[in-house]
Amino acid sequence: MAASAKRRRGWRKRLGALARFTGALVIVGGLYSAFSPSLYAQEAESNAIDSEAVKGQELYDTSCISCHGDNGEGVEGRGPSLIGVGSAAVEFQVNTGRMPMAAQGAQAPSTEYPVFTEEEAEWLGAYIEYLGGGAGTPDDLDAMVEEADVAAGGELYRVNCSSCHGYAGGGGALSSGAHAPSLEGVSNEEIYQAMLTGPQNMPVFADNELTPEQKAELIAYAQYLVNDDKDPGGVFTLGRFGPATEGLAIFLVGMTALLLTTLWIAGKS
Amino acid sequence: MSAHNDSNPPEPVDLSNPKLSRFEVYTEGLRRDDIEIIHYEPRFAKPGTKAEKRMERIVGGLFLFSGLFATAFVVAYIWWPWEYEGAATWRDLQTWYTPVLGTCLGLSLLFFAVGVLTWAKKLLPVEELVQDRHDGGSSSDDRKIAEATVDNMVEDIGLKRRPFLVKAALLGAAPLGLAAIAPLGALIKDPGDMLTVTGWNAERHNDGEPIRFMMRDGAMVRPDMVSVGGQITVYPAIDHGATNQYPTSPVLLIHLRDADAEILRKNLYPMYQDVDALWGNFVAYSKICTHVGCPTSLYEQQSQRLLCPCHQSQFNVVDNAAPVFGPATRHLPMLPFTVDEEGFFIAKSDFLVPPGPAFWNRPSLPEEDEK
Amino acid sequence: MKRRKGTSDSLLTKAGGELDDRFKLAGPARVLFNKVFPDHWSFLLGEIALFSFILLLLSGTFLALFFEPSMVEVTYHGAYVPLQGVEMSQAYASALDLSFEVRGGLFMRQMHHWSTLLFMASILIHMLRIFFTGAFRAPRETNWMIGILLFWLGFFEGFFGYSLPDDGLSGTGLRIMEGMTVSIPFIGPWASAALFGGQFPGTSVISMLYIIHVFVFPLLLLALITVHIGLVFAQKHTQWPGPGRTEHNVVGFRMFPNYVMKQIGFMLFIWGVLGAMAGLFQINPIWLFGPYEVSVVSSASQPDFYVMYLDGLIRLFPAWELRIPPYFTLPPVFWPGIVGMGLSVVLPLLYPALERRFTKDRGHHNLLQRPRDNAGRTSLGVMVVVFWIIGVISGGNDVFAEKFDISLNAMTWAGRIGLVVLPIIAYYVTYRICLGLQQHDREVLAHGLETGILMRDPNGRFYEVHQPLAEPDEHGHTELEYNGWVVPKKMNRIGALPPADKGFFKSIEEPSEDGRTERRDEIESGKH
Repeated sequence: MAASAKRRRGWRKRLGALARFTGALVIVGGLYSAFSPSLYAQEAESNAIDSEAVKGQELYDTSCISCHGDNGEGVEGRGPSLIGVGSAAVEFQVNTGRMPMAAQGAQAPSTEYPVFTEEEAEWLGAYIEYLGGGAGTPDDLDAMVEEADVAAGGELYRVNCSSCHGYAGGGGALSSGAHAPSLEGVSNEEIYQAMLTGPQNMPVFADNELTPEQKAELIAYAQYLVNDDKDPGGVFTLGRFGPATEGLAIFLVGMTALLLTTLWIAGKS
Repeated sequence: MSAHNDSNPPEPVDLSNPKLSRFEVYTEGLRRDDIEIIHYEPRFAKPGTKAEKRMERIVGGLFLFSGLFATAFVVAYIWWPWEYEGAATWRDLQTWYTPVLGTCLGLSLLFFAVGVLTWAKKLLPVEELVQDRHDGGSSSDDRKIAEATVDNMVEDIGLKRRPFLVKAALLGAAPLGLAAIAPLGALIKDPGDMLTVTGWNAERHNDGEPIRFMMRDGAMVRPDMVSVGGQITVYPAIDHGATNQYPTSPVLLIHLRDADAEILRKNLYPMYQDVDALWGNFVAYSKICTHVGCPTSLYEQQSQRLLCPCHQSQFNVVDNAAPVFGPATRHLPMLPFTVDEEGFFIAKSDFLVPPGPAFWNRPSLPEEDEK
Repeated sequence: MKRRKGTSDSLLTKAGGELDDRFKLAGPARVLFNKVFPDHWSFLLGEIALFSFILLLLSGTFLALFFEPSMVEVTYHGAYVPLQGVEMSQAYASALDLSFEVRGGLFMRQMHHWSTLLFMASILIHMLRIFFTGAFRAPRETNWMIGILLFWLGFFEGFFGYSLPDDGLSGTGLRIMEGMTVSIPFIGPWASAALFGGQFPGTSVISMLYIIHVFVFPLLLLALITVHIGLVFAQKHTQWPGPGRTEHNVVGFRMFPNYVMKQIGFMLFIWGVLGAMAGLFQINPIWLFGPYEVSVVSSASQPDFYVMYLDGLIRLFPAWELRIPPYFTLPPVFWPGIVGMGLSVVLPLLYPALERRFTKDRGHHNLLQRPRDNAGRTSLGVMVVVFWIIGVISGGNDVFAEKFDISLNAMTWAGRIGLVVLPIIAYYVTYRICLGLQQHDREVLAHGLETGILMRDPNGRFYEVHQPLAEPDEHGHTELEYNGWVVPKKMNRIGALPPADKGFFKSIEEPSEDGRTERRDEIESGKH
């Protein structure tokens, strides 16, 4: 019994790997060959709830409900409504450890140790998807990113992203204690989901603003920026913060070395 | 006088005396420059001691090391693979080109520097000298002679006797000075209405036809291209509309949520109500900060603020983008717009107040001044 | 005069004779060779600026061979993949090319930039030394003013250089400059149009800045530096007060060989540090910034550190705008940007004259003051430094906010309040510290040094044995006047505890040298 359940779950998981957000869909038994977000948005209106979503609901009712309210309707002053945000948003927030939040604050920071496993995040995603669907991630994202035009992505990045995340992708401050996080160590999928769903204060870049291809270009550039562009100018990058740390370096390294030298030169021998 | 007031100044020596030693001739030079030796002795009392040899070896070694690294620099400069080949890993030699150059040249210079400095500090004689300082102007004789010379000069030219010539020369020189700087006037340009008219002015840029919203890649913008909680940067759909030729034109087009749009409609300035500046839940704000002109593009879709990354001015999106924090004093002008029959966004007119940094005669509307 | 034998000597003598026949050098050369310079570490700070300036000229010339100051739009087809196919100005494209496609070009660019930062940093440190020791007093006010002008020339020279590559940060900087220019009442829009050849950014500003950056300002800098050093030479360097040092002499060592060798060594050392930094520390990675577009910006956009205090003041200045509707507006940036900068030029220029006026001290001063001995000036200086540092930190307050997880708005408010309050506190605290140090100096002179030896008198009272600095009178007091010298504060300063051993790794035998007695002589000669 347990073994067969396990096998069934494994089968589901493989399907989930094909299309993460199809939980509700599979139960209805519909056959879908094209995965366009609009299609899912319609489909999610189906009222059937699958076992993943049920498990998700259990988790939701213990860990999320205090801020996001009954049935994801949101609580004034605590947490926004989750209806319609979709599984991509949930998986982004939960897998990066941003949710559940440890404490109310201007910023939900990402943590290294998410509270839920990826599987649990999928369940939660399925439940939120059941409440009202959102958009999903294309399956062949990595291949799309691989082939994307980095330079075109760069232009998109500078117009849309650098104002908050910085030219070098290191993140930046927002108003009143919030900040845009660094892009370092962030997966293609996470960037995609973030654009799609606009987590926290980030504006939404849905598929009508940036097509999936453009998103792939953008991701390709962002990954180039933080991973491949190995700073030909030196061993120490000074965090790529620009003039602030460069100014610090000239005093802490250059000036300090030379002041010690003046002491040596003029010292009694 | 010198430090040792009690000691007598050294006597001048007779340079024609063939018995003078080199050092005596030398100290006569010092005497003539008002210099007195307080202390002067070789660094090593006995030449050729172990300590001295050791110091010589150290300095010599430093110079040789310097040469070694300088050679390494030249070799690396010529033969180290240097051409940048895009994304490379740290193992690839070419990403080390600059660090290798810096290390070699830096070490070479530092070794030589320490060599020279050690030579100066450890091998030169220990010396302390004192030189008189002749401070506080020239001698009274010199002053007197200089005064007389100048007076004589003035007299020769006749500055006092020929006042007309002096005045005429001044009158002539003043325009000449002007003539010297007048060519700089070539730089002067009439600013005209460059600070008030933008690329959204249909009469100027589009033969009076309404100007559409364009994305950076040239795509025209329709309402379905911006989702709720999203924003895009749009430009006037004219020639070069998205380039630096139209620096005050970029606009941030925001699609607000219902609730937020409701608040904005309630707060809308009368001048924007009059022209019906919003379209549905869409609003278009100038992207150019009213403080000093950076793009105010940090849109926070939950706190509904726009932040300028240069000086941290913050604008309230649901209140006409009025400044709520930081040094900015004026709201970001709203671009009144609607949708044409083909379903594309078009600007109804140019901005009602000039976008970008303020200037002394910037025209403003009364609503603005109330805030 | 007896001629020494030996081919090289006679050759040198012959060459010298030939030169002297033509240029009559023997006399002036002797004066130059024998000139006496005082020796102190703080007299070497200006040299850092001088030698980094020379490196700036050298590396800048290299860069000018490859840089094209043109704002013509081109499509980039260079080596840097993420910009291939992007439209950009010729200036930015050539700056990229010289970074990626010129052998050693990136190294040279980074060296140029690090030298700039060091040039400006050392000018600041040098200026503080001059200020706090009173070296700017008569007869050296002119040289102080030249120094201030050098700082501001360097300030704009650096800012223009930062603008030349026409990358995203450059353009943002120019945009802010335009916003400041346009805020000037009445002439603002005209000045801006003249600067940018019409509307910002236009197509001419880079070539205009280029000729200023590579010709006009370097020439002015070179001329002023020459005069600056010439005046130091002619007026003779100041010196610290001490045994045998008076207002009317200079105690030190000769220009040749001692001083010159140390200078050459120091120059190479500075270049070595800059060379190493240029290779190891990445600076201004322009390829990450992309070409300048008016609608593009990055978080944490900052100017170089020497401009940062001004940017910080602009960030902190409240949203105060003077309006006389509908005809007149005075934007808030005018106050910190134009008035603030103007005052930062004028007040330092006038400072020597102001101090002269208020202290009514019209004498010539060749001996330096210890900062503690002029508490008022020192406190004023610290006050300005604190003000400046708050400005600089606020210029990077977004980086601080993000990296240390502080609210940006809180940083701004902390800066606003700090800018008003902290300098006043700094003034008061510095004043008290100066007075305390003065007091302690006099105490040591009157009662001697604390030896750390505790004694107990017959009544059971503990007291510390003091080592008087001179023969005490019957009350155990010494009648030593304070005369601006360093007062020894520790026993080993007066030779009680000389270092037991010499050498770094292993001991070196010092033959016949007795440092102890020599040092004692120094102290004793100080009693006069």
